[in-house]
Amino acid sequence: MEDREKLEALQKSTPARIGVGRAGTRPLTHTMLQFRRDHAAAVDAVYGEVDESILQQLGLFTVETCYGNKETYLKRPDLGRIITDEGIAVICERCVQQPQIQIVVSDGLSADAITANILDVYPALLDSLRVNDLNPGTSFYVKGGRVACMDHIGEVLQPDALVLLIGERPGLVTAQSMSAYMCYKPRKGTIESDRNVISNIHPGGTPPLEAAAHIGTMLKRMLERQTSGTNFF
Amino acid sequence: MDELSFTSVGIDIGTSTTKLIVSRLRLGRVSGALHLPRYEIIERELHYASPIYSTPLLSQDEIDMDEVARILRHEYDHIGLSLSEVKSGAVIITGETATKTNARRVVHYLAERSGDFVVAAAGADLEGLLAGKGSGAEQRSTEFPGVVANVDIGGGTANVAYFREGKAIGTVTFHVGGRLIRLDEQGLVHSVSQHLQKWLLERRIPLAEGSKTTPDQLKSIASAMCGEMLDYLSKEAVDPSFRHLIAGSPPPGPLPEIDELMISGGISTLMADREVPESMAAIARYGDIGPLLASSLRQQADKWPFRIVTSGQTVQATVIGAGMQSVEISGSTVHIDPAVLPLRNLPVLHLEYTGIRPEDWRQAADEAMLEAAKYALPEAEAPCAIALSGAVIHSYSTLQMVAQALLDTFTGHFPDAKIMVVVCEHDMAKALGQALSIRCGKCLNIVCIDQIRVERGDYIDIGEPLPGFLVPVVIKTLAFS
Amino acid sequence: MIKSMTMLGHTYHFNSLKEILAKANEEKSGDQLAGIGAADARERIAAKFVLADLTLSEIRNDPLLPPEEDEVSRVIEEAIDETVYNGIRNWSIAELREYILSHKAGPDELKRIGSGMTSEMIAAVAKVMSNIDLITAASQIRTVTRCNTEIGQRGVLATRAQPNHPSDSIPGILAATYEALSYGVGDAVIGINPVIDSAESVRAILSATKEMMDRWSIPTQNCVLAHVTTQMRALEQGAPMDLLFQSLAGTEQGNKGFGVNIRLLDEADGLMRLQGASQGPNQWYFETGQGSELSSYAHFGIDQLTLESRCYGLARKYKPFLVNTVVGFIGPEYLYDSKQVIRAGLEDHFMGKMHGLPMGVDVCYTNHMMAEQNDMENLGVLLTSAGVNFLIGVPMADDCMLNYQSLSFHDLAALRETFGLRPAPAFEQWLVKMGIMENGKLTDAAGDPTLFMG
Repeated sequence: MEDREKLEALQKSTPARIGVGRAGTRPLTHTMLQFRRDHAAAVDAVYGEVDESILQQLGLFTVETCYGNKETYLKRPDLGRIITDEGIAVICERCVQQPQIQIVVSDGLSADAITANILDVYPALLDSLRVNDLNPGTSFYVKGGRVACMDHIGEVLQPDALVLLIGERPGLVTAQSMSAYMCYKPRKGTIESDRNVISNIHPGGTPPLEAAAHIGTMLKRMLERQTSGTNFF
Repeated sequence: MDELSFTSVGIDIGTSTTKLIVSRLRLGRVSGALHLPRYEIIERELHYASPIYSTPLLSQDEIDMDEVARILRHEYDHIGLSLSEVKSGAVIITGETATKTNARRVVHYLAERSGDFVVAAAGADLEGLLAGKGSGAEQRSTEFPGVVANVDIGGGTANVAYFREGKAIGTVTFHVGGRLIRLDEQGLVHSVSQHLQKWLLERRIPLAEGSKTTPDQLKSIASAMCGEMLDYLSKEAVDPSFRHLIAGSPPPGPLPEIDELMISGGISTLMADREVPESMAAIARYGDIGPLLASSLRQQADKWPFRIVTSGQTVQATVIGAGMQSVEISGSTVHIDPAVLPLRNLPVLHLEYTGIRPEDWRQAADEAMLEAAKYALPEAEAPCAIALSGAVIHSYSTLQMVAQALLDTFTGHFPDAKIMVVVCEHDMAKALGQALSIRCGKCLNIVCIDQIRVERGDYIDIGEPLPGFLVPVVIKTLAFS
Repeated sequence: MIKSMTMLGHTYHFNSLKEILAKANEEKSGDQLAGIGAADARERIAAKFVLADLTLSEIRNDPLLPPEEDEVSRVIEEAIDETVYNGIRNWSIAELREYILSHKAGPDELKRIGSGMTSEMIAAVAKVMSNIDLITAASQIRTVTRCNTEIGQRGVLATRAQPNHPSDSIPGILAATYEALSYGVGDAVIGINPVIDSAESVRAILSATKEMMDRWSIPTQNCVLAHVTTQMRALEQGAPMDLLFQSLAGTEQGNKGFGVNIRLLDEADGLMRLQGASQGPNQWYFETGQGSELSSYAHFGIDQLTLESRCYGLARKYKPFLVNTVVGFIGPEYLYDSKQVIRAGLEDHFMGKMHGLPMGVDVCYTNHMMAEQNDMENLGVLLTSAGVNFLIGVPMADDCMLNYQSLSFHDLAALRETFGLRPAPAFEQWLVKMGIMENGKLTDAAGDPTLFMG
């Protein structure tokens, strides 16, 4: 094999930035700038916001957590777990109480992840619930959410199971990766290991539509076995 | 489930020998806890290998089916294996035996009597492929970036399979094998295979049944057979007469460049013998020219540009391939109706959709089904398997259009079908299956599986689901075109 | 312990040693999240004044987490060399700092007094040291360890190659390893973080890396950073493992969160001595990082710097070959920005060295921290000047599996050449033989991973 082919074979085997060459001990200019570009996209995803028109298209209303601003959001994860009093009032007014399945969408650490994936994942998730004979309640969007905001919402709406679609901490490979957290009867005091998650949902990772299709199966099993968590599957 | 194992058998009825192996295949989860479940066969353990039996024949043209069945029963009893324990595997009929008059009946008969999901298989390409898997050539090709070819030389044929990055990329078969000339220690020729006769004739080598031959004549025949085969594989010019040694029609495109050649099969066992057979007695010690082919391969090994290595699995490569490597498993997120499984021998209809716009799907699917109608089984509950290859579909609206197009065209072409089988190359079966299922309601059972690559002309068998909702699959590849 | 301090016209009250230690820390978002940090800049300095005047015996006699209740405390207590301790017990933290920085001390003396100190004392002195203090002191101390090869000598900057792959693909892991080796990286360890925590997967990665090491006669060690129990199962299945890995926390409860305790670590240690592929005597690799105890609600109101120091107290029981803090991995709620990460990196390195550990650092950050690659390059330079035993490199600083950024292979090569440092001796000889390095510099052939494809 030619050297060029050998190098390509190596590069094909991993998404790692290999075979990039050097100037002395330092990377080449374009390689370095590509790295900086990807970091820039990641940082902007953290500080970005979900496009309002997308939420409207899906018919999701918005509530906020007590995060206040991005700096506080990053330093105080505890505040992102609590919905504001105003938010709770809206939820109580607009949502079906005690739904079988509650769907919640949140920006989390990447608004871009939601913008990029939700228009495909959300309707596919509704289909998946339908195929599994599951009934969703009233879905909504949480701005400034952390994973454990599930517990506060669970406490208020008392769903049998809740699924939270939330933006993940951006990486350099993609800033658009989303997770789906699922929990059987999330309530105050629910612990990490009671939840199940499908992570890395984006077109280059876990296929978004397939992830959505599988969520229905998982929720159905949770309801059948009346439990969820790391020891569940 | 995190781990699960099942038993698989391989049965090889070859030109000169018949053998059986029993293996344990272990499935393990290979995706992290935070990802969609994905299982793979993580270990294939050879559990038992039978003695090597002479293939029982009733006549030159007919296999002694009862005797093969008796061998099988004896072996199952001997190791205490019950049919219900055997969850997968393959019966393969190889080399010249595949041309016997009752070959087809024998493999099906045996497949049905060897376990729950044991498939019948035949064909030189498949044989070469299984040997290449069993010999370790497929695995070897994942270890460095180059092409590994396996040539499995037995009694009747030399089956070559090419692998790159763990994937089969081609096959070719030659009429090169030990049993093509049978003789005794006095040099009396008992038979010459008809495939060889044309070649001998064109090369003006006088060798006929009932005539006497000499060690020198046989040596030059063996040397020419092996030498030209390797010349052909390394793309050197060969004598025009060589076309007679190519089984079937010559491969359509150019053969891949080989970086490493692995040799398996009965002849490779004989290659370990460093002594060159000089006397007629030594040459004909097995009643054929096997020992000469082996020594001539060994002597000429340095001449070619690729590394030549002998496989760790020599004589058993094909049966090990059949028993341990024939079964694949689907992705773990699939949409199936367990009640309709297993499904056997479904002809594959292939639809490559790269570059097809969503609005053109209907036409593309229609054309593919029209073509498939030629070989599909319209009266069967499941007339065919629709294989989709192309990148994963990520857009919800595209997927809906695709599902509608597939369903409309399928029901149009196969109005009596009860089961619609879709096999996706990439991870999208559950999403597509759900979209299909929402559309067709109760009128069709949908079996939609993924992470299986099949081609037009293949046949596919789909087994009952293993816990975790993945299914074992056996693909019978008939050709690389 | 109740102390007060009047400063700039205000009196500050401190009700416990825990409080003094926490408030004397440089600003960290993790201490604020725990609600134990100083209220403002002046209170922080007041706490430092109070801490500076505490004696070592005062600190030892007022345990933050009593040995009866916490096994990490027991390990730390039991390791104290009483003779050494008795020689320094009446020193104040201020005096200890000045002794460490004085010309009287020197490498052997620093290690000697380290053996008479608890982890809390070492943490305490770090709190009254500036960044250059931490660098000067740490640069004195050398800790040489030996597994298959030896690292830690003066003049040596060793490196871990971290060739992770998002689905543990063996060809992918090997490809990134080739890239590392071609830059002279991988003398400390070829260490892979696996996605799949299963014995089979660990064994497969170890076998593949070992085969490569054998094929090219590479003098280094391999390691797969799975949970210790998974590695033990792989060992029992005959995996060729040179280093056994585990993440550590500074409290018994924190380690429980990691699924380990001292009995398990002892058992693993015994198994490794019997079944490990390396000669040793040093066969462990530990990782730590400020904030992990708070993240598992196992901090008992103790600040994250002190807890980090206690990790090192636990680590030294097992005479590891490598220890490093993964300094910026945990996120902005513990270390908010580059300033905090740089400070923590220097603190951790100094504290590890005072514990006599072969201390390295994973100079790293996540994308939701207020930090960027230049900050990491700065910290890399600072730590190299502080004599860090080893640094971690990933291709172009981007770990495509763990989704965070560390230093690049280029950075490690640049640090070596800029500071006139060399790879571990056996590894350098091998690099020379392979034509990758000459006179401590990369050759024209370096940086080409296809070197290893023949």
